[in-house]
Amino acid sequence: MTPPTLVAAASPHLVAIPISTGMATALVALLMLTHIQFAAFQQGGYIILAVTDFIGWKGKDARKDRFSKGLVTVLGATFAFGSTLAIFATLILFLGLWSQFFVELVRIMFWPLIVEAIAFVGEIICLYTLYSQWDKLGRVRPLRVGLELLLFINASIQMLAINVVASYMLTPRPSNSLALNLLNPTEIPLELHRFVGNIAFDGAMIALVGGIRLLLAKGPEGKAYGDWIGHYGLVYAVGFTIAQPLIGWEYAKEIQLHAYASWYSMMLGGLSVAFLFQVFLLGAIFTVGIFYLWRRVRASGFRAPTLAVCAALSFASWLLIATPSSLAWSYEDVVAANANVPIWQGGLIIPWGQMIPFKLVALIVFTGVAIVAVTVYLKHVSKGELRWGDAGRGQAAALITVAIAISLMMALMGYIREHSRAPFLITDKVLINQQQNFNPPSSAGPALDGPAGVGIIMPWDSGP
Amino acid sequence: MSSPSQPPRSALVAKLTRPVARPLAATYRWVDERMGISDLTHQLLYEAVPRRGAWSYSLGSATLIIIVLQIVTGMFLLWTYVPSTTEAWESLNFIEHHDEFAAIVRGMHLWGAYVLLFVIGLHMIRTFVSGSYKKPRELNWIVGVILFLLVLGLGITGAMLPWDQAAYWTATVVTHVVDYIPFFGNWTQEILRGGPQMGPETLTRFFAIHIWLLPALLVPLIGLHLILLRRHGEHGSWVNYEGVESETEGERATRMAEAEYPYPAVPSDPGYAVPMDLDDFFPSQVFKDATVSFVLVLIIFVMAVVVGAPLERAANPAALNYVPTPEWFFLPLDQLLVQFPQAWMIPVGVFVLPGIGTTLLMLVPFLDRSPEREPWRRPEVMVPALFAILFLIFEALLAVNRLFNL
Repeated sequence: MTPPTLVAAASPHLVAIPISTGMATALVALLMLTHIQFAAFQQGGYIILAVTDFIGWKGKDARKDRFSKGLVTVLGATFAFGSTLAIFATLILFLGLWSQFFVELVRIMFWPLIVEAIAFVGEIICLYTLYSQWDKLGRVRPLRVGLELLLFINASIQMLAINVVASYMLTPRPSNSLALNLLNPTEIPLELHRFVGNIAFDGAMIALVGGIRLLLAKGPEGKAYGDWIGHYGLVYAVGFTIAQPLIGWEYAKEIQLHAYASWYSMMLGGLSVAFLFQVFLLGAIFTVGIFYLWRRVRASGFRAPTLAVCAALSFASWLLIATPSSLAWSYEDVVAANANVPIWQGGLIIPWGQMIPFKLVALIVFTGVAIVAVTVYLKHVSKGELRWGDAGRGQAAALITVAIAISLMMALMGYIREHSRAPFLITDKVLINQQQNFNPPSSAGPALDGPAGVGIIMPWDSGP
Repeated sequence: MSSPSQPPRSALVAKLTRPVARPLAATYRWVDERMGISDLTHQLLYEAVPRRGAWSYSLGSATLIIIVLQIVTGMFLLWTYVPSTTEAWESLNFIEHHDEFAAIVRGMHLWGAYVLLFVIGLHMIRTFVSGSYKKPRELNWIVGVILFLLVLGLGITGAMLPWDQAAYWTATVVTHVVDYIPFFGNWTQEILRGGPQMGPETLTRFFAIHIWLLPALLVPLIGLHLILLRRHGEHGSWVNYEGVESETEGERATRMAEAEYPYPAVPSDPGYAVPMDLDDFFPSQVFKDATVSFVLVLIIFVMAVVVGAPLERAANPAALNYVPTPEWFFLPLDQLLVQFPQAWMIPVGVFVLPGIGTTLLMLVPFLDRSPEREPWRRPEVMVPALFAILFLIFEALLAVNRLFNL
């Protein structure tokens, strides 16, 4: 049977969907960025659900039980919407608008995508069992927590599979070996970056709910619950974001080694300004987050001088060295300003990864200060010094701000990652403007005619 | 059940075994009177241990059992292994292809080392989380950290002994790294290499360090570790001290007075000298220790049979395109190296940061001096430790990814 791509290639009468490349790209980007936010919320939410339900069970904490039940309800609803987006993306946008790309992707990543589909079914079974039988499962608590862990494992397998695809698009290996393409140079860095980022993102969304509840609460009980939710989410959000600069740094180093053009575009070229805005948003997350920690302890009547110092340090760092206004927009600007000499000669270049120094210093300060701040804050919590319900409108605003900043950061990161490959959809393999002309993908050609049938890479295939 | 007309089975067994049992018992009594075996056994086996969380305390015993296994398998390997650059690889190649028993023993030695490092890591994490390093057990924590470093040293020196490509280039890298030690770098490098260049003496020196120097330090320190453990008793998990804060003075005094050997531990933070609920070391804890140790030894054996120990091609100093990959327990360190510019790579990546980390690890009992044992009430140590562990795991994973794509 002739593969469909060949039919398309051999039939000049077939016409592309009448939509410009720019419009198609915008549609795909909008849908995928939205889908990523939902997917991140699901994956991070499952582990927070399992942890919260477990410690609620062991600590006999009714508030955590209530929170877990609320979270599973929200996760059930967001899963339905997020997966609808994914199916819509696959069926309509990828097949309709980016068919060349999708055929090439399925050819190479057939098995990871199959694994993802199986894990997706596992996620549905676990999630809707929990969603519909929550109270009944509560009678056998180990089973419920076990099911939550299984749910998390299913979601993690899906994330792993899709990260294989996403990392392959940036740093493909010139080989038909499935193993080499699975563990391509940026797979593990992306995996870690997203794993940690998803938990931070989910924490931020929980903090958002806490902030809104705080603002809308009518009575002391509602305010106390909103206050606790906000605190609980923010600890995850700021705590896990701490690891991101270091993982991101290592991720960037791998991109530098294996996809230099993309790295240059992100760090020194046209996307440099977007990356600087990322650091600005990171500064917002840390500064506003630490400010919240300090003011939250103060709201319960404790001075917390260490937290005040942390907030001041973070703010100073944000103001002075992480704001885009104090940085060059791109390396070309640095060269134009004759500042492309080492920092000890009055320039902007340091020997540490060719990054503009302010950005690096800011990341180091944010990370160090945030570790101290979270530790000190948790010490106050462990001593039972915080009374839930003491938080005011300022803390609520801080929670909402952190959530918006993390959400924006995730969307911007997606934008940077996808644009760094331009003009390719798969680096050096598939061009973005090939999508509507129905030519067979350049690298798929020989494989389509070869003995492997439609050219799907099998686990036992190896070599170039 | 025996019928009234027949003698009870125990009596029958006693009658049948009497010719052997009597002289054996007499021999044992004769030896015991002179050596005090019964007293020693009693001292070793009959002590109190905390009741709750006892499975997690078996990691220490498992560590000891695996170290003994390493010594035994190492002795067997010495029967065949020749510590010379011309014959080391040949002798192991002979084992791999012509001596199935020795090949399994070699596999057990390798997998024993892997499992040992993993179990020590878990043992340290357990001790850390439960706050077992606190007064009066600070010295035992420090001895434990030194033991961990010695085992790492045994791991790296052992990896050099096959004198295959991996071993040769590992030795080259390690002896190159020590050159960066301030003031003594060149001297240390020559001591280890047996000269300015890698050569026949390099292997014999690492062999001597592996089988003599490090074990000579390891064995007495294990003894000290056990003596200190017996002196203060097992601290156990924080769950064994639930309720100490609400205890009255009278209740606490009664608990201290009625404590079984080796409790109460002194000096101690109030309430933490005796676990709330005790159990017997023998048979209760011994059973758990034996079970865990047996399972681990079984895993080591299965891995030795199924996977075995790799042996690459014989060392070839001319093969400059060979890329040495570190053992898995040095992966975080390897990844750390690539984070720094060339000039800082080894000084900072090998000495400064790991040095700071090791010093902090040693000083944990003096940095965390509060009487609090529950982990969630000690965020000042738990949060940095959590980040440190996550950092090591992440670095190891990133190293795997990087090395796979070289």
